[in-house]
Amino acid sequence: MLNSVFRRREVKKDIENGSPHSFDIETFHKEILSLVSNSEDLIFRIITLGEQKLAVVYFDDLINTTAMQDSIIRPLEESKGDLNYQMIQDTINIAKLTQTNQINDVVNNIVNGTAYIFKQGDTHGILADVADKGTRGLEKAETESLVFGPKISFTESITKNLNLIRSNINDPKLCVETFMIGSRAKKKVQMVYIKDIAEEENVNTFRQRITEIEVDSIVDSTVLAQMIEDNSYTFFPQLITTELPDRCTISLLHGKICLLVDRSPTAVIGPSTFMNFFESTEDIYMRWNMGTFLRLVRFVAIFFSILLTPAYVAVLTYHYEVIPSALLVSLGQSRSNVPFPPFFEALLLEFIIELLREAGARLPTKVGQTMGIVGGIVIGQASVQAGFTSNILIIIIAISALGSFTAPSYAIGTAVRIIRFPIIIMAGLYGGVGIMFCLCFILIHLLKVTTLGRPYLSPIYPFRFADFKYSLFRLPYQYLVQRPLSNHPIDQGRIPEKKAKEKKDVDE
Amino acid sequence: MNINVNPKERLMFNAFLIMFILHTAQTGVGIAGLPRVIYMEANRDAWISVVLAGILVSIVLYLMIKMLETYDSTDLYGIHLDVYGKWISKGFNILYIGYYLSVTYVILMNYIEMVQAWIFPKMPTWLLMGLLIFLMVYCVLGGIRVVVGIAFLGLILAFWLVFMIYTPIKYMDFNHLQPVLTSSPKQILMGIYKSSFTLIGFELVLFVYPYIKEKKKVLRYGLIGAGYSTFLFTVVTVVSIGFFSEDALLKTIWPVLSMFKILRIPNLERFEFIAVSFWMLVILPNICLYFWTASRGMKRVFNVSQKKAIYLFAVLLWILSLCVQDRITMNTITDKVGTSSFILSFVYPCFLFMLVKLKYIFKKKKGVDV
Repeated sequence: MLNSVFRRREVKKDIENGSPHSFDIETFHKEILSLVSNSEDLIFRIITLGEQKLAVVYFDDLINTTAMQDSIIRPLEESKGDLNYQMIQDTINIAKLTQTNQINDVVNNIVNGTAYIFKQGDTHGILADVADKGTRGLEKAETESLVFGPKISFTESITKNLNLIRSNINDPKLCVETFMIGSRAKKKVQMVYIKDIAEEENVNTFRQRITEIEVDSIVDSTVLAQMIEDNSYTFFPQLITTELPDRCTISLLHGKICLLVDRSPTAVIGPSTFMNFFESTEDIYMRWNMGTFLRLVRFVAIFFSILLTPAYVAVLTYHYEVIPSALLVSLGQSRSNVPFPPFFEALLLEFIIELLREAGARLPTKVGQTMGIVGGIVIGQASVQAGFTSNILIIIIAISALGSFTAPSYAIGTAVRIIRFPIIIMAGLYGGVGIMFCLCFILIHLLKVTTLGRPYLSPIYPFRFADFKYSLFRLPYQYLVQRPLSNHPIDQGRIPEKKAKEKKDVDE
Repeated sequence: MNINVNPKERLMFNAFLIMFILHTAQTGVGIAGLPRVIYMEANRDAWISVVLAGILVSIVLYLMIKMLETYDSTDLYGIHLDVYGKWISKGFNILYIGYYLSVTYVILMNYIEMVQAWIFPKMPTWLLMGLLIFLMVYCVLGGIRVVVGIAFLGLILAFWLVFMIYTPIKYMDFNHLQPVLTSSPKQILMGIYKSSFTLIGFELVLFVYPYIKEKKKVLRYGLIGAGYSTFLFTVVTVVSIGFFSEDALLKTIWPVLSMFKILRIPNLERFEFIAVSFWMLVILPNICLYFWTASRGMKRVFNVSQKKAIYLFAVLLWILSLCVQDRITMNTITDKVGTSSFILSFVYPCFLFMLVKLKYIFKKKKGVDV
């Protein structure tokens, strides 16, 4: 009985098997209408030339009207003589043309903005690509901002994105593979790599993972990244998502592989190791000493961001002998007004900071600035004066929050912010031993994560000293003769070594 | 069971990591208490005992690696099978598995005792044991790559503790070490015997040998790793003898931690709280390596799935921690394990070396599975 109450409705999926459409225009019209659920924006234009009837089928909102009128309708109306599909192909002025007679081909292409031209009684028809999908012009990058370097970002159109990448790398060896993913809403996914740099195994793994996805639809490239990554349970991301073309360019030249998804302004770069998330394109555009300094500042900031608040909680709850006597007095004064133990105080303030951040991301820009000031300054000051928290904790929380935002990739910044909470809880429970336990756990966890089969902590754990000059610090260009070994590139040399290291004597 | 182990390509690691494995396996919880233990035997010449013990370690390490090189790619379990045959080798292998489990247990209990003495007097043993066993199981479940990785990272992240010895050296008095060579040879030999429990760990090369990529370089890196451990222990002993007075050293159970007390870094006063918490990272590679060896043995010898062996041993260790409550029992257990460690790590491998050489006195290499 339960079966009949909760039985799922069986929905027949049509357009599964290919079959040619009927060659009579009226029947064809009825077939097409039934397959597009009788949508009223389907235009079925019939052109009569003497005794021939030509049908032109398209979706009104997906096509470029000028191209349609000037390049398809006018030449057809002005053509003389008998037309068959080959002559139609020669008459109309569209660059991309295909021939077909399968009904599912026709429907799949019409929903992507092509027009189908068919003469009654002919064996085949012509699909003409006149798509004009909604997109925006090239704009400045919003989520990743730079001081130096190109500032344009990807847009929603996959052809424009590929245009940007190919303009940056005009190497003929740049290889593009296309897949159509999704059973209901087919999305175009393109895998880009440089054929004689990227490693064969990585490319094969990517290709296999993408083609094995069986899903209804993929909404965005980040969703695709979540589906093909190795380990879904961890906090740490394994594929970089970026909206900057020059970031893609640099990664491609180092041997990584780029994925572009139609209607998505983010590209996915893989395989990405833990250290790749801390590299920003600015380090490369600046001179090496500045780049190294910035990288080191970033690492120190992330380290403090994770450890400072838990250290405060642990030291104040269990190990107050560690604090030097000068600081002890001021700490004692500020904490004497607070009714909570340090553990709750810290969790409360962390939660308020997360609220501010989350609310700030959703507020409209006009209100955003005011709320930032209100939240940051007023709440902070007011809570100290109300005796809610202590001064020192506000400073510590502010430094931690700033530190987590120095990570160039938003995903890893979020990961850092999230793992701070369990560490605070363990610090509140077991003090220094608890913090150490969490650190060891994170260390073991990072050792276990693999990105696309490659170890996550390269070049630190499979120790490749040669790659340190790409990940941890930067060196002058004489020393960057080879590409990073972690990606196992096939073509390793970049600068001929002799030329890079010529040494001259004094006054020569 | 095969004599030779040929693991998959992706599980193998580079030879220089042997340095890290041997050093972290030797440096665990023993280094904190080492100076007092040897001082009780050899007085002022305790450091000579440590140096001689280190030389002995190098000799035994050399014999072990030569023994391993007569085979293609085997570990101790395989050598037992080759030398003794099927049934007796099972007995010896069970002995080693049990021995490594007990070493893991002793290290864990000693660390928990350190935490209970220095930071949290009322922390229940089973609680900290549960946390540490959780970490250990999580690590060993990742396989040999994760275990070696934690050895590598553990040493690199804990290396800064070595530089903390600068402050005691400032206050040290070299006169405590003089006159040199006043102890009788018997005392020095007893010192070597007592330091053996701290210096074991180098025999793990017998178990990770199949996983090393460049087998020719194992000897070089093994000797460097063991040599660095010896150097570290000698320096610690010398500084302890120089820093503490004679009676004080006899009464200080953990001289290294007591020396940490005097450190003053800006903004941190009592450094030993941080040091004892950080010690967890020093013992973690230690226990993971021993535990991995024991569970690997179960898989090799009895064909039990390694995961099941790991869970079983973890539960066993945890239950055992509930049984021992007082210091005296723990001391006795540690002493007994120490004695057996001297036999099983120093004496027995030399004996086995002679057996192997006798067996292959005219043959070069054995590559055939039994």
